[in-house]
Amino acid sequence: MIELKRISKWVNVGGKPNFILKDINLEIKEGEFVSIMGPSGSGKSSLLNIIGMLDDSSEGEYFFLGNAVHSLKEKQRSNLYKQYIGFVFQAYHLIDELTVYENIETPLIYQNIKGSERQAMVADILDRFQIVGKKDLFPTQLSGGQQQLVGIARALIAKPKLLLADEPTGNLNSRQGEEIMDLFKQLNNEGVTIIQVTHSEKNAGYGSRIINLLDGRIENSN
Amino acid sequence: MFRNYLKIAFRSLARYKFISFINLFGLTIGLSCCLIILTYLVNETSYDKFNKKADRIYRITRSFNNDQGIVSLHLSAVAPPIAPLMQNDFREIEKITRLLPAGTTPVRYGDKLFNEQNVAFADSNLLGVFDIKLLKGSPRTVLSEPYTAAMTPEAAHRYFGDTDPMGKVIRLNNRINVTVTGIFSPLPPNSHFHSPILLSFSTLEDSTIVGKRELENDWGGNAFYTYLLLPEKYNARSLEARLPAFLDRHMAEPGTAANNMPSRFTKLYLQPLKDIHLRSHLDDEYEENGDINRVYIFSAIALFILIIACINYMNLSTARSSLRAKEIGIRKVSGALRTEIILQFLSESTLLSYVAMLLALGLTWLTLPMLNNLTGLNLSAVSLAKPLIITPLILTPLAVGILSGLYPAFILSSFQPSKVLKGLFKVSGGNLSLRKALVVVQFSVSIVLLISTVVIFRQLHYIQNASLGFNKDHILVMNYNEGLDKNFEGFRNALLEDPHVVSAALSSRIPSGRLLDYQDAATESGDSLRPISANIKYLKVDQDFLKTYGIPILAGRDFSRQYATDSTGFVLNAAATRALGLPHPQDLVGKSFRYGDTKGRVIGIMGDFNFESMHQAILPMILAVPGGQNSRKYSHLSIKIAGNDAAGAIAHIEAVWRRYVPEIPFEYNFLDEKFDRLYQSEQRQGSLFTTFSGIAIFIACLGLLGLSAFSISQRIKEIGVRKVLGASTKQIVQLLSADFLKLVAIAAAIACPIGWFLMHGWLQDFAYRTSISWWIFLAAGALAATVALITISVQAVRAAMSNPAKSLRSE
Repeated sequence: MIELKRISKWVNVGGKPNFILKDINLEIKEGEFVSIMGPSGSGKSSLLNIIGMLDDSSEGEYFFLGNAVHSLKEKQRSNLYKQYIGFVFQAYHLIDELTVYENIETPLIYQNIKGSERQAMVADILDRFQIVGKKDLFPTQLSGGQQQLVGIARALIAKPKLLLADEPTGNLNSRQGEEIMDLFKQLNNEGVTIIQVTHSEKNAGYGSRIINLLDGRIENSN
Repeated sequence: MFRNYLKIAFRSLARYKFISFINLFGLTIGLSCCLIILTYLVNETSYDKFNKKADRIYRITRSFNNDQGIVSLHLSAVAPPIAPLMQNDFREIEKITRLLPAGTTPVRYGDKLFNEQNVAFADSNLLGVFDIKLLKGSPRTVLSEPYTAAMTPEAAHRYFGDTDPMGKVIRLNNRINVTVTGIFSPLPPNSHFHSPILLSFSTLEDSTIVGKRELENDWGGNAFYTYLLLPEKYNARSLEARLPAFLDRHMAEPGTAANNMPSRFTKLYLQPLKDIHLRSHLDDEYEENGDINRVYIFSAIALFILIIACINYMNLSTARSSLRAKEIGIRKVSGALRTEIILQFLSESTLLSYVAMLLALGLTWLTLPMLNNLTGLNLSAVSLAKPLIITPLILTPLAVGILSGLYPAFILSSFQPSKVLKGLFKVSGGNLSLRKALVVVQFSVSIVLLISTVVIFRQLHYIQNASLGFNKDHILVMNYNEGLDKNFEGFRNALLEDPHVVSAALSSRIPSGRLLDYQDAATESGDSLRPISANIKYLKVDQDFLKTYGIPILAGRDFSRQYATDSTGFVLNAAATRALGLPHPQDLVGKSFRYGDTKGRVIGIMGDFNFESMHQAILPMILAVPGGQNSRKYSHLSIKIAGNDAAGAIAHIEAVWRRYVPEIPFEYNFLDEKFDRLYQSEQRQGSLFTTFSGIAIFIACLGLLGLSAFSISQRIKEIGVRKVLGASTKQIVQLLSADFLKLVAIAAAIACPIGWFLMHGWLQDFAYRTSISWWIFLAAGALAATVALITISVQAVRAAMSNPAKSLRSE
């Protein structure tokens, strides 16, 4: 599904390149549940952002479902992204001015899905996550765990094949964290490919594979 | 998708109430200014267009020049023979019609007696050229018979009440009886001439009024406003080109040398009817016209105020961009394209400007009556309800929304989600300096307006208080009536019986009016008289004129009743002696002089005085007290009264007037008020500039308020650190204010030369003008800076007083 070849990412500091990622070669198959681990500044989030097409690599090739992402135009990339990828953040990143319902609906709007269809899809996912009663609340009226649940619902609304999560439980207490990880496991069983960045060994244990990063390089992958 | 945009727009407007209020309020006021000025524009550009044939109607104007080709006079009215001769020579002219204003005329019917203003004689085909609707009477016969009249229903009601006016006989000037044969609906306000009573042109053939011979031969009586109706698609310029030959054909005496033909010294022009109101500034316009430059100036001001409001939006939206950054990041992560983000922000700004437009329409509707009071104009918001205007009215908010939203939209949509969502986002320096530049623009415009306001008022003060060269106080002026001819001596002596009446004088024109009459002159040169090229303006007076107006004699003597020869004596002003090349006034005294047909002597030289408004320079002038046949035919009576009992003196004058001319209504004006009225349009301009510059500064300060509030909130941690390190409140306020004051200073530096340039140009319209002193710039800059400082310091003081422990803990 994902194939990274010699991916590097650097920023210029005082004229010299400062590597964030160096020579990353990685293959992830459909249906995997991968955890990326490593100390702060090791490039975990950058790798996730490149995989999620939020960021470009400075060098190297990236194939996603056979498409050469590194040479796609913004529009094509955006189409690919909209169709196949969902993103979950540590800080939930819900739009404060929108209700739970509207937050979940937003990705569908950008995919030009008709109103009635959107309604059905959102109702579906609200039902599944058992947050129907909260649909008219604003994010600030929810607890952290509930907000993350909405965040995940939003990421899944367009039925992506790949779910990217950047420390999804980082802001949650352990009980809430477990619930989220159980949900991920269940999603993975249903066939969604998941890549998560995490600090926690325990959370990493939910996955089928762990990739350790250190100073922008893959230290080991098992 | 659009619904989602609107939803977000409404909610974010509601969430940032303060900023939204500033934006909405600024845009509303900016758009209101635009709307108000638009109504003014619509009104000004609509003049005379109610005439269906307006495109084909032209007015004949006439200019006079000396042998060097310098035009000394350009009149919008011409001599009476021109119309019939042109109709005869140029068969293609469909219709040609004349109007002769008769000014204020006493009109009586039974015991109803009024001074009717703007009475005019009109050719019978006037109604065929202009769209004047005849309510009663036959279009074919109205105004054709001598001694007939047509009037407006309002005028008719004044005299006849509810009875049928047709066939009633009114008495004009206690001399001629005229039968009412028509009622016409009054001319709309946007006509360049108005008249409540029109008299048939054929009445003028009465030799006690003008006379048939004069109508056919008097080439000097340029008082007849003459209009042509040309055929469709006719080239008026080609007709105009044939007019010099026309003049030579009819005006030249037989045997005139080819290089001395009339067309060398006088020219006729065809002026499109639709140009009269805004583009014609001739010496004797029918009514006071508008000015295309004023239209441009106010359009520019409206536009600038709108731009200031738009800048507020741009600045506040970009300043606050960090608050929206997260939302944009999420939207991009949710699959939004950059164009979709841009569209979202554009729809937000457009929504805001449509709301502002609705509010502005309401505000305009409320303020227009007030503005009409202030300006004397008759504007109505209803005039905007035309298809031609509604379309731009609907599109304006779209344009404003796009204009003010585009920059923020581009900035905001460029955020990279991977950065803003990580919290690494910072407002970049580049767009900070653009914001500063925009603030400078706002304050530059405001300061230019301030400078203009001060200069306009300074000039007004100057022209209203400058010495005119005579004493305009306590002088009553009124129309002279020929009924006094029989016994003017007795009338004057009766006036002087009251010690509060100082003197009374007759003249052909009075100060505050124009000085347009002139004839050719010749001065003594050796034993003969040598014609002079200087154009000396003529004023017919009586022996008491100089005394009444307090005009000093510099050399020689005033006119006197003791000298019978004074009927061929002349008094010139100092400007005339200078124009003749004589440095000392006394050089001309006693010299032979010819003016027109009168040969005589110069008996005195008077001081220069401002007869006309301060727009005009003091011209060479000649005064004469003609005897014999020309001894009467004065137009104006001026009476000087003592200042201590004006009411008593006026009561006495009225009583005497009623005794001598009971059939003429007694009406008077104070001369100083007439002078004040000369500058009415400048007065209005001044008050409008005050209003507009106030609004501009206000909107700019609103923006500054929002911007400074935001920038201070951004620096709250810095302020905390500085306070912990020992900075005083005062130092912090200085630190925070200095940044913005610097911008105002730069704005002042930009505005001063622009303001100087603009107002220097404006002042060129006056022959006598105030200087633009340096303190005006200083004052305008200081005022803007003070207002800005007050705006900022409210925020700055609050920030500086805050407890640093609090602001530092929040990190």
